[in-house]
Amino acid sequence: MEIRIMKNILDRNQNRADMVRSLMYLKKVLMVNIISSPGAGKTTLLERTCEKLCPKFSIGVIEGDITTDRDARRLERYNIPIVVINTEGGCHLDSHSISKVLDSFDLDSLDLLFIENVGNLICPSQFDLGETFKLAVVSTTEGDDKPAKYPMLFREAKAVLLNKVDLMPYTNFNLESFRSDLKRLNPNIPVFETSFTRGDGLEEWYNWLSDQVVSSVNSKASRGV
Amino acid sequence: MHEISIAGDLARIVLDAAAGNGLSEVTSVNVSFGSMIQIVPEIFKFAFGEAVKDTLAEGAEVNIEILPFKARCRQCGRESDPTGDSFNCVNCGSTDLEIVQGKELFIKSIEGE
Repeated sequence: MEIRIMKNILDRNQNRADMVRSLMYLKKVLMVNIISSPGAGKTTLLERTCEKLCPKFSIGVIEGDITTDRDARRLERYNIPIVVINTEGGCHLDSHSISKVLDSFDLDSLDLLFIENVGNLICPSQFDLGETFKLAVVSTTEGDDKPAKYPMLFREAKAVLLNKVDLMPYTNFNLESFRSDLKRLNPNIPVFETSFTRGDGLEEWYNWLSDQVVSSVNSKASRGV
Repeated sequence: MHEISIAGDLARIVLDAAAGNGLSEVTSVNVSFGSMIQIVPEIFKFAFGEAVKDTLAEGAEVNIEILPFKARCRQCGRESDPTGDSFNCVNCGSTDLEIVQGKELFIKSIEGE
């Protein structure tokens, strides 16, 4: 006997992600899901961004970490709410784990909630967490072929940070090839060429992110939400 | 290794459907995956086998259909299936494409007694 089902296997994840997204919309919180390989600079990006934007916005962080709380400890000095989700070996976060920790944040006062996903370019791209948008972070030391190899992430991301540009002279990273692969996948995506140690590209990043936070709050306010 | 959690979700759906339809054994599970999801069939089958161990779906065969990437061009309206790592419309060369197939993660049916 054959029983027809025709159902999205990730329905359960998607339904919860939709709930999270509605809640963030109502609470006017910009939720950014940061996805990269291990070591591309996600935590350093959060350190720099908190340093610069904490005075301006109310920021929270959900740290996805396989077993430790090391990333979270690096952010403690900014006195912001941080929740660690240990995935116990799991290679990505899912919407249920996000939804469970949201009551640790005062969503009414929060402007910006970062999710630092587990370092991995494939798995986290498949699981909608209810974020406002995905941010892809890549570094020059990983090679210029990441967009071509992981098209799903780079098609869905709203922006890309190309980090460690200060190390480019020591690698065979081909910037033109990187840019043209990315343009084929996502023609209008903004790319921030950054060095978190030297400071390149950071002002542009802060300005762009601030605009996203402000426009997210304003567009909802104007609709009377 | 997203195969493991997707296989876990599939196992839950399969077992619910089997129970709801009064099956005592599930012999096969038929699924369709889009090529952009980057599922490795061997890993997925292994993970599903582990997820349904000691249940009425233990040993069920998983038949995976891979759906190739297809896109519709927002400029000229043509549907195309760019190959390799090219994401250009085969008709006009535009990169302004809407994905119409390639992101699926569907269970189609189960078979059993």
